Amino acid sequence: MSIRDLLWQLPSVGMAWRNLGRSRVRTALATLGIIIGVVAIASLGMAGVAIQQQATSNLGGIADEVTIRSGTDSTTDGVTQEQVDRIRDVAGDATVIPEKTNSTTLTARDGSERFVSVTGLTRASTLYEVSSGDNPDRLRSGALLTNSTAQQLGLEIGDPVEYDGQLYRIRGLIESGGGGFGGGSELVLPLSALRDQNYYDSVTIVASDGDEAQRISDAVETRFNEGDEEILSVTSFASIQENVGSFLDTLNLALLGIGSISLIVASVAILNVMLMSTIERRGEIGVLRAVGIRRGEVLRMILAEAAFLGIIGGFVGAALSLGVGLVAFEVLAGDATLVFGWASVRYLLLGFGFAVVASLLSGLYPAWKAANDPPVEALRS
Amino acid sequence: MSTSVIELDGVVKRYQSGEETIEALKGVDFTANRGEMVTVIGPSGSGKSTMLNMIGLLDTPSEGNVHLDGRDVTDFSEDELTEERRSGIGFVFQAFHLLPMLTATENVELPSMWDTDVDRRDRAIDLLGRVGLSDRLSHTPDQLSGGQQQRVAIARALINEPDILLADEPTGNLDQDTGATILDELTRLKEEEDIAIVAVTHDEQLVEYADREVNLVDGEIGE
Repeated sequence: MSIRDLLWQLPSVGMAWRNLGRSRVRTALATLGIIIGVVAIASLGMAGVAIQQQATSNLGGIADEVTIRSGTDSTTDGVTQEQVDRIRDVAGDATVIPEKTNSTTLTARDGSERFVSVTGLTRASTLYEVSSGDNPDRLRSGALLTNSTAQQLGLEIGDPVEYDGQLYRIRGLIESGGGGFGGGSELVLPLSALRDQNYYDSVTIVASDGDEAQRISDAVETRFNEGDEEILSVTSFASIQENVGSFLDTLNLALLGIGSISLIVASVAILNVMLMSTIERRGEIGVLRAVGIRRGEVLRMILAEAAFLGIIGGFVGAALSLGVGLVAFEVLAGDATLVFGWASVRYLLLGFGFAVVASLLSGLYPAWKAANDPPVEALRS
Repeated sequence: MSTSVIELDGVVKRYQSGEETIEALKGVDFTANRGEMVTVIGPSGSGKSTMLNMIGLLDTPSEGNVHLDGRDVTDFSEDELTEERRSGIGFVFQAFHLLPMLTATENVELPSMWDTDVDRRDRAIDLLGRVGLSDRLSHTPDQLSGGQQQRVAIARALINEPDILLADEPTGNLDQDTGATILDELTRLKEEEDIAIVAVTHDEQLVEYADREVNLVDGEIGE
């Protein structure tokens, strides 16, 4: 059985296909309207997703972290070991990194000096990324130094630096963390280097995502601070991510809204095309009714024409949108293949579905009108 | 004895045209029997088309009754009338009215297209053969002459094995010779299929082929 025979198994569909073929230009223009609508919806939606993913990945690092310092009502000058242990209880699976900070002056071989801030912590690899050298889980007697500082002092990987009378070898170079005292110059040492200091200056918690960070932040607040009292000061950027996220959601809705308008325009165009073509074919439909074609059959035939316009327009539109999406993700998120993620693929399906539904809705009135035209009246025209 | 296929019984049809009421048919009695060709003649505006619409169940009378095969179909709904047209009545129009995007075979199949009838294709090909178009099965209407198109239309009218075939000026768009072959065709089919043919016409030639002639003047049957 050929495809043609198969098509005629559903006479409404077969007739609809032939009817659309009769005025190709009109069919093409109506389909073009749908294509534009689908491209507008799907590519704007996907661009929104690309922007969102890019923004999230930029924020990601900060938003997952919670920083805890000693609060104004604390009786100690820092976070105690006992408090750190209790924070670990609250944090669950998240990584808890207590830090001690200080400052020192590093001396170069030529005698020039640089003021640097000193951070002592275990598991430096969780918080710092090295641009050269290596980044061991435990520093032991190694150190990390900001790249710019190393250059100014003429220090290289493997060179020793001195802190508190002890020598540490530079294992890796890091980019400036930005801000902080020491003008962005930072020396990262093992926690044992600052053993003279009794208290931790800060505790950083690295959570799996922003939501988890927010949860931990809230839990620490309620555990340590009663009422207005501030034993520990908790800083989390998760709420920033939430705000940015909701802004992007709004942006996405606005983009989709703009896209929908073009699809509405397209469905009005389809309504017009279907109405014109059924009015033109009034006599012909009268003949169909006269020879015994049922009203429902005429209705289905014309609805099938509208559905064809929607399916073809939706399919071509979705294909073009995929192309637009590939470009958008390459430019905005830097990885074109992210377009195949569900977050963006669903906009292709949404665009396609909208096209078919809008076309069917537009076809309803012309189809109903044609099917219910009295055959005598229709034949006379 | 011949049996009546269609029967109009005191049929009156009124139209509302603005403030005026026009009475197109003023109590028409008419019957057509199997194996009989009846022509309805009359000047334009005499109500011929209205009468044909009544016989073809395309329109319902304002007064009077319509019987098809002895059943009173006067008060049938539009959907019921559609079923009756589909199964019992074939139409041939002056302007052929074939669908331009369909082949000859598909045009013949059209009235039964929505039926899940496996051998309708075979019957369509058979009918086209009987009207002499075996070599035109895949041609579209624009590839056929007027006479050929009308023969396709006749084959289409017969696809559902009707009891009655209605023809509205079937030779009106054809030249004398072609008209004659169409009328020969109809006469032959009338006998072969044992159907009633009712033709509305101005054409003197057609009247010669008729078994009976009915004059319609001003909405009334005259002598």
